[in-house]
Amino acid sequence: MSFLDMDERLIELLKLVDLRATPITDLKEPDEEGVDVGILEGGLSNSYNEEVALKMRKRSKILVALGDCAVFGGVPAMRNFPGAHEALKRAYIETESTDSSGMIPNDPELSTPVHVRPVSDLVKVDVFLPGCAPSADAIFAALSELAQGRIPKVEGELNDWH
Amino acid sequence: MIKLTINEIPVEVEQGSTVLEAATKAGVSIPTLCHHPKLTPYGSCRLCLVQVEGAKKLQPSCTLPATDGMIIHTETEPVKKARKFVLSMLFSERNHFCMYCQETDGDCDLQQAAYREGLNNWPITPAYLPFAVDASHPDFILDNNRCIICRRCVRACDELVGNSTLGFEERGSATFLVADYGVPLGKSSCISCGNCVQICPTGALIDRRSAYQGRETDLTHTQSVCVECSLGCIRDLQTRDNRLVRLEGVVEAPFNEGLLCELGRYKPFHDDRVRLTTPLIRRNGQLEPAGWEDALKLVATQLKVHDSAEISATISPRQTAETLNAFSEFFREAFQATDVTLLGHDQTAQVSLELEKEFGAFESHLEALKHCDNVIVLGTDLVKDHQVAGFIIKRQAARGTRVFEATKQPTKLTANATDRLACVTHDFSTVVELLEKSLNGESTEVTSELLGLGTGEVSTFFADMPAWQNTAIIIGKDFATLENLPACRALVALARRINASVLMLKGKANAAAAARIGLNTTATALPNQVYYLALGDGHTCEHVEEAFIKSEFRVIHASFASNLTEAADVVLPATIWDEEGGHYLVTDGHIEHTDRAIVQPENARTIYEVLWQLADKVGLQLPGDWESKLGAVEARVI
Repeated sequence: MSFLDMDERLIELLKLVDLRATPITDLKEPDEEGVDVGILEGGLSNSYNEEVALKMRKRSKILVALGDCAVFGGVPAMRNFPGAHEALKRAYIETESTDSSGMIPNDPELSTPVHVRPVSDLVKVDVFLPGCAPSADAIFAALSELAQGRIPKVEGELNDWH
Repeated sequence: MIKLTINEIPVEVEQGSTVLEAATKAGVSIPTLCHHPKLTPYGSCRLCLVQVEGAKKLQPSCTLPATDGMIIHTETEPVKKARKFVLSMLFSERNHFCMYCQETDGDCDLQQAAYREGLNNWPITPAYLPFAVDASHPDFILDNNRCIICRRCVRACDELVGNSTLGFEERGSATFLVADYGVPLGKSSCISCGNCVQICPTGALIDRRSAYQGRETDLTHTQSVCVECSLGCIRDLQTRDNRLVRLEGVVEAPFNEGLLCELGRYKPFHDDRVRLTTPLIRRNGQLEPAGWEDALKLVATQLKVHDSAEISATISPRQTAETLNAFSEFFREAFQATDVTLLGHDQTAQVSLELEKEFGAFESHLEALKHCDNVIVLGTDLVKDHQVAGFIIKRQAARGTRVFEATKQPTKLTANATDRLACVTHDFSTVVELLEKSLNGESTEVTSELLGLGTGEVSTFFADMPAWQNTAIIIGKDFATLENLPACRALVALARRINASVLMLKGKANAAAAARIGLNTTATALPNQVYYLALGDGHTCEHVEEAFIKSEFRVIHASFASNLTEAADVVLPATIWDEEGGHYLVTDGHIEHTDRAIVQPENARTIYEVLWQLADKVGLQLPGDWESKLGAVEARVI
């Protein structure tokens, strides 16, 4: 939502950007030959997130961690206190609205939950843009710098974790 | 004076100042966490490290004494690097995820410090070592997961409040905050003053009711005087959308210096009485909703048809000086009613006025309590009735201040005092006699026995009484009665001999103003033809209740429904304490102002407003001159 809150500035920004891949377009992964900027949001919560992070690092010249989850671990990291298994047990078996048939999903296709980490715990991050969510102004400021070939300085008002 | 240089700025400070204090004076800001201006410097968080030319290592500025010729740097690379490292370590230790903490965006000192140093990520991954959350207390929650072990709360509990409930268990990263010897807060010796919550720099101690109800910057702040007793603590009313969110002590206030007691901080939130929303008139035995105009007309008519001797009127001491004066002008001066009284039994303010006639200015400012080496407390339970004064005595008693206490009931004032003598008695003239004999070096055997004290302990305690310095005598309602006036006189005379400060704690809120305006409490109240009870948001006392219920025509102007509003013939809905501004004459004789923080419900009117409207209805003019009646009071306090 914060991203969309950039409103008409999005259009200006798109003029400067060649969008190679996003989870919501047909191209899900950055080009093998690499891209200039890779942006990751979300903490590393499972084995799939880790794969994505490694691939993004490998293929991006500049890697950006966007939002408190990617920067610090965020809300998913709350489960690190009780542990992933305890959290899943609570969510799928013990909640008041769950009947006796509740079970923790175990399909082999599913990725494995891990100890939640910020992106920088696995790969080197070049730009940290914290915030829950970062404000539209902060996102715009960072992206417009990147689109013009500069590394944004996330400080002052742009550095706001909430 | 000591001369030093901080970031090239020369500054002069007094001997004994710290480098941090010198920096503040020089206008240089140094980030701190464990430091608090009202606490002894502690030096545990290391955030305030500075570079001292000639010193091998960085030094914590909060504990480092300033010395002549020192050259300090606070923004060099090594200092900034050290600060970032200190913050990284703090963030890595526990749950400092801001996005699900109540103490966020400007409210948290830790977050502010991180912003200041430009930290936009945590270089060290958190340890995720979980601690149990203690939610056993009705007013606040202790979450050790958010604690940075700065010990501000522990120090406040001990150094400021003198209660020493909080402490730490374990060592290093496993250190956690406990109450007493590890019992839940709600079952501990905690007195629920909440000063630890106010002083906590993070979200480790949070207020239950106001949590997640908005950041400091979202709230409107109104500074005003507390009306739960007469000490005059200054508190910050924090409101949002015309709703009271939180009450905090104002650190800059000269007497309470940020402290509040349970009553001042939480009592308004515990009030679950039902608010009156419309005027009511009794018709055919039933109370029925009515308009203000009809209700006021009815009251005015009843007042007009009765003689002055047939009208009784009582007002709560919680009202402003403006209101108390209007009440007195209306009933005493205009109607010349003989029975116009102040609610309650506390005569301290009246006794103080009587003594003033004889001794002139004889009382001291409350500030005197903070520096006394000997305290004599007579006829008041400071722990219950004037709690912040109690905190000050308790914290000093634990550090060697001598306390002699004579009260009607046993008190918990100085459980951890090093030198204390206490007796439970109703016979205060004997107490004064004991003090006089001790001072004169006479035998105290008989008087000691009458007070249930051992002669040995009395003589040890008072052995050097003639040489006592910095003595404070605190007098409360059980001692300061008109009946006991001779003993009060003798006591003030004795205080003069040893050059002691005298403080008379004057009952509820504005009792001192009421006494000067001429509204006195009485031991009895009688039923009358008309009884006008201006109760506001206060509570009544038994003798007034009885007289009111037995009266012929009963008018009550109150904020909340009660057995009295049910018994009344006319019920007028009143505002409450935060819906009206005005002046209060606090215990030590200075005038405090309070502003309205909340807009009252549609039909509620202030007692002041209604008195003027009634005056208009009966064709009277009220002079409204309260200031001259309280005037020059400050000069009367030494």
